[in-house]
Amino acid sequence: MAQEKASPRNFSKEITSRLGGETITFCYQCGTCASSCPVAKITEKFNPREVIRLALLGMRDEVLSGDAIWLCSSCYNCQERCPQKVEIADVIYALRNIAIREGHIPNIYSEFAAGLMSEGRIVPISKFLEKKRPEYGLPPLKPAGVDAIRKILSATGFDKIQFKKGETP
Amino acid sequence: MKMDKIKIGVFLSDCGNQLSQILDFDAIINYVKKVPDVALVARANEFWRGEGLKNIVEAVKGKKVNRIVVAETIPKLGEINILEAVEKAGLNPYLAEIIDLKDHCAWPHKDSPKEATEKAKAMLLAAIERAKLLESIEKLEFPATKSVLVIGGGIAGMQAAEDLAEMGFEVHLVEKEPFLGGLAARAGRFFPTDDCAICIQSPASDVKTVTHTSRKCVYRSGFTEIPNLNVLTNSKVLKVEGVPGNYKVTIEKKPRYVNEEKCVACDLCTTVCPVEVPDAYNANLKKRKAIYINTPLVYPPVYAIDANACKFADCAKCVEVCPTKAIELNQKSKRLTLNVGSIIVATGFKEYDPSVIKEYHYGEYPDVITQLELARMIDAFGPTNGTIIKPSDGKPAKRIVFIQCVGSRDRRWNPWCSSICCMISLKHATLIKSAYPDTDVTICYIDIRTTGREHEYYYERAREMGIKFVKGRPTEILHDPEANVLVVDVEDELLRRFLEIEADLVVLAPSMVPADGTKELAEILGLELDEDGFFKEYNAKLRPTETKKRGIFLCGGATFPKDAPTTSLQAHSAAMKAAKFLNMGKIVKDQRTAAVNEEYCGDCEFCPVTCPYGAITLTPKNDGHFVAKISDLLCEGCGVCVGTCPVNAIELRHFKQNQMLAQMKALLSINGTSKPLVLAISCSECGNAAVDSSGMAMMRYPANVRTMKVPCTGILQVQQILEAFKAGAQGVMVVGCKTDGCHYEVGSQIAQRKVELAKMLLKEYGIEPERLEMFNMVYIEGDRFAEAAKMMTERVEKLGPIKIT
Amino acid sequence: MTTYALFLGCTIPARQPHYELSARKALTKLGIELVDLDHMTCCAPPPLQSIDLETSLAIAAHNICIAEEADLNIVTLCTGCFESLAMANAILKENEKLRMRVNKILSSVGKEFKGNKEVRHYLQVLMNDVGLKQLEKSVVKKLNKLKVASFSGCHLLRPSALLKFDDPERPKIFDNLIEALGAKSIWYRNKLKCCGGLLRGYADDVALAIAKDKIVNATKAGADCISTLCPFCFLTLDLGQMLIKSTFKEEYNMPIIHYSELLSLSLGIEPKELALDFHKVKVDSVLNKIA
Repeated sequence: MAQEKASPRNFSKEITSRLGGETITFCYQCGTCASSCPVAKITEKFNPREVIRLALLGMRDEVLSGDAIWLCSSCYNCQERCPQKVEIADVIYALRNIAIREGHIPNIYSEFAAGLMSEGRIVPISKFLEKKRPEYGLPPLKPAGVDAIRKILSATGFDKIQFKKGETP
Repeated sequence: MKMDKIKIGVFLSDCGNQLSQILDFDAIINYVKKVPDVALVARANEFWRGEGLKNIVEAVKGKKVNRIVVAETIPKLGEINILEAVEKAGLNPYLAEIIDLKDHCAWPHKDSPKEATEKAKAMLLAAIERAKLLESIEKLEFPATKSVLVIGGGIAGMQAAEDLAEMGFEVHLVEKEPFLGGLAARAGRFFPTDDCAICIQSPASDVKTVTHTSRKCVYRSGFTEIPNLNVLTNSKVLKVEGVPGNYKVTIEKKPRYVNEEKCVACDLCTTVCPVEVPDAYNANLKKRKAIYINTPLVYPPVYAIDANACKFADCAKCVEVCPTKAIELNQKSKRLTLNVGSIIVATGFKEYDPSVIKEYHYGEYPDVITQLELARMIDAFGPTNGTIIKPSDGKPAKRIVFIQCVGSRDRRWNPWCSSICCMISLKHATLIKSAYPDTDVTICYIDIRTTGREHEYYYERAREMGIKFVKGRPTEILHDPEANVLVVDVEDELLRRFLEIEADLVVLAPSMVPADGTKELAEILGLELDEDGFFKEYNAKLRPTETKKRGIFLCGGATFPKDAPTTSLQAHSAAMKAAKFLNMGKIVKDQRTAAVNEEYCGDCEFCPVTCPYGAITLTPKNDGHFVAKISDLLCEGCGVCVGTCPVNAIELRHFKQNQMLAQMKALLSINGTSKPLVLAISCSECGNAAVDSSGMAMMRYPANVRTMKVPCTGILQVQQILEAFKAGAQGVMVVGCKTDGCHYEVGSQIAQRKVELAKMLLKEYGIEPERLEMFNMVYIEGDRFAEAAKMMTERVEKLGPIKIT
Repeated sequence: MTTYALFLGCTIPARQPHYELSARKALTKLGIELVDLDHMTCCAPPPLQSIDLETSLAIAAHNICIAEEADLNIVTLCTGCFESLAMANAILKENEKLRMRVNKILSSVGKEFKGNKEVRHYLQVLMNDVGLKQLEKSVVKKLNKLKVASFSGCHLLRPSALLKFDDPERPKIFDNLIEALGAKSIWYRNKLKCCGGLLRGYADDVALAIAKDKIVNATKAGADCISTLCPFCFLTLDLGQMLIKSTFKEEYNMPIIHYSELLSLSLGIEPKELALDFHKVKVDSVLNKIA
């Protein structure tokens, strides 16, 4: 999929040309997603309908540099209930993908990326716990495919993303 | 058959001496005189009326000519007048060829009059050569029974049936329920007037006053008493055979178990009936007996027995009690055959069942109901006597929330907008607020659509009454079991706040979908359904209420959900069209149809599939093979079958292949320009219209471009395209309608494929495939034709003359 | 003997060996053979999908390829792993263009996604390979009408179009499996709502508020415990109660217990063999109820 150049004027196109973002333009702002969202009910900082609205209006900077897109808990309730079959959770992933490439990275994601690149797991397993496995009657852990991961990350360009310390909420 | 000697009369109109300013008429006349078989050449201001027309008529009457070629302008008007006149004078109108030297020659080539003159000679030669090969075509008559079947006894069907019965047609109105009325009988009132839903125009046969013939409740309109109207309730259409004008319809009439001639509607039977079942008509909010009648009454005023509920011989109490012995428990289903000339489909629509939208808990929480169920409550005759109650405990509902677009505008269920639900909710909300002003009413919506006449004022009034509007689609309806109250979980987008609205009653505005049995009926009648499942009109703008099947019409909600005024319009439209169709008692059409040469037919079975009108059937021969036969009644004369047949076994009577070849050769026999010849074959619909309009607008294109007309580009065989090159064309343009707008449905798509195949063959022969091109354009794109003609000329000039290696 | 490739993911071996333990013991007792394959990696859950969807698809596909090469279907314990792998499997099986794109990436590691294997959650294995009847028969110690607030988490059910696990609005499978053990699966408010787990580390206060809501609702409904399938849900609700205590000064003592642990107990496995020390909220009340 050829990806659109980034500009506020064609932000919708930029999103629809990305994996995950293809359905954003179906949205007709009915608000079903907002009332389905467990996070929106607790904090004003996140409302999936508003995120999509801002994106469709072309407010690129506000969406990508803001807090909101990181507050989705990926529960998929909105995507399940959306009457226009907008893949809202996937759209938010797409927006996060763009944001990260432009340097907006919450710290915790840098940590996940680091774990993946060094051990093939986002949550590294402590040597201590690994040694304790036979005590509980658990078989030894098979080695993780770290080499394969590194090659895949290289093939997709993941390893070129700048995981500098990003903004925190 | 002895062939009369061919005598062609050529009549050249010079348009008040204007055409002759561009074209050298003397040279043209001299040329034409020398063409063999030309018996007469005449010139005048115009030939399609006045003195000129008289000249033609005299030449025909005096047997000086037996074929005519007329060069006239004003394409359609001229043609109609001339052909009518010569037919009266005794010449078969299909022995005439009318061409347009102004729009197709003089005007586009104004800047090069000498070249235009040469082209005019070629055009006349082509017309003359074609005229030599023309054959007479006779008029056919098919019987048409002046009788109409109307399927569906709702307000659309009733209105159409009434119109036709009044006009003197025999009308059979078939309704699957025991009572007429359809949705209207249950809806109560209609917006925006809030008058009774079950109200139609009454018959006009004895006009006393305007009021006499205007709105009347169905039961007192008298329409059911029109003598030639036959109302069949409890009836369904099983089979339809035959042809337009002469359908044989098999109807199954289920037993009512009550004799319609004897029942006096006294109601004694219901008092003794021991069986009680939920009353589906009244949203299951109350019970009814196995023998019953609906209220308000529409028609007929006869009780009916529910065969699923009745105990029949095990009980029979009603039989004993009936004062007129009207109850007949041994009635059986009957099959009837009706002979009708035309069919009108008025089967309407129904509410979508929202139980699949599980987050709204319809069917689980009894206090979540649909619009129709609310309508029954609002109806003073209804199960709650007009009070709005909670079905769960019967207490009055003081807080009501409406939810719009339940299943509509929803790509998971029904993607369309059902068009009337916003108004229905406003209607119900205002009726409730009027009767019970202290009720809290909220409408949750995505958009409020009030587009019709006076609908916006209705919306204003709703707001004035204090009805609340929340812009937001609820995600879920929750239930608090302790307080027995529903909670609607919705975001108020305008407030940007989450609301949990407590409600005694939640009313869902469900999607409107095609009525039950639509698919089956469409198959029985051979009708198309659109992508949303409704019956498809032939063309909603230009041929509303018609279908691709001549003689079968549609009206009302069967084509798409609609309000009462539009339904009424469509009912009258369908009735009028059926009347037009059958008015003469016969269907008259020229035999300008296709015919199969049965000896050549190889039973490949392609043509029945491609015919857009289902006019071709396969009939078995003695040897087990089939042969294609074309119905003169159904054939539209487009020629798509001609283009499809791989062995050239089909010919159009009014456009034969030898005629086409002769025309081509003649058109390309004279050049007169310094440019290579390009032949533009256009269809007689949009394609030729584009050619016409380019001339009428005086667009310029070079005179080496020669145009000729075929009925539909779908008629073209690959070899005919190649013949054009053989005949001297250096380039060929095929100009047809847009592929999604072909006037014969599939023609230009088929032509597209032929062009692609021809290009491949050209390549094989060592001829550049870009010499052949297909164009699709419409009347208002005349400029595109001129551009295309110029472009092809330049292209072909660059390529140089054809070299076959 | 039904054999599956066991997919452990990251969180379970790193933080919740008791989940792995109870699952291995229970499934083996029920006749399911679990094979551990080399070179599996992270499944590529939401945190990775947030960084790059294409990479995540490729990583998920890579894991499936390993199982395809061993000619084994995959079973997962973590519902997050289930969603990640099953979604990737469904998408790549259906979408030819995407499959070609991912296979191009996988060619750099010498693998090709063929789409001939299934990804299942262990609840599906219990339903389809063992069967409810067989499961009921195998129960040695009926869980004496223990009142269980079942919480499958989000990613077992949604997005339902791709996962096709159960009816997303009226799921029954998890509840049926709980009742097969003799326990009672009770209704409680917002049963299907998210635990907020994925917000931990970025917006801890929001995550905690969402988790608290869940504990409160289960408590109000009279649950003896909340049964989980996802290690993140477990963490959020179990460790979360410690944080709720320190932040809101409220103590609920609601035991959070994985289904495989309930299953193991009902199959007669002794509590001391199940490493129950890993629970921050002690499960003694549950053990007492079912004794």
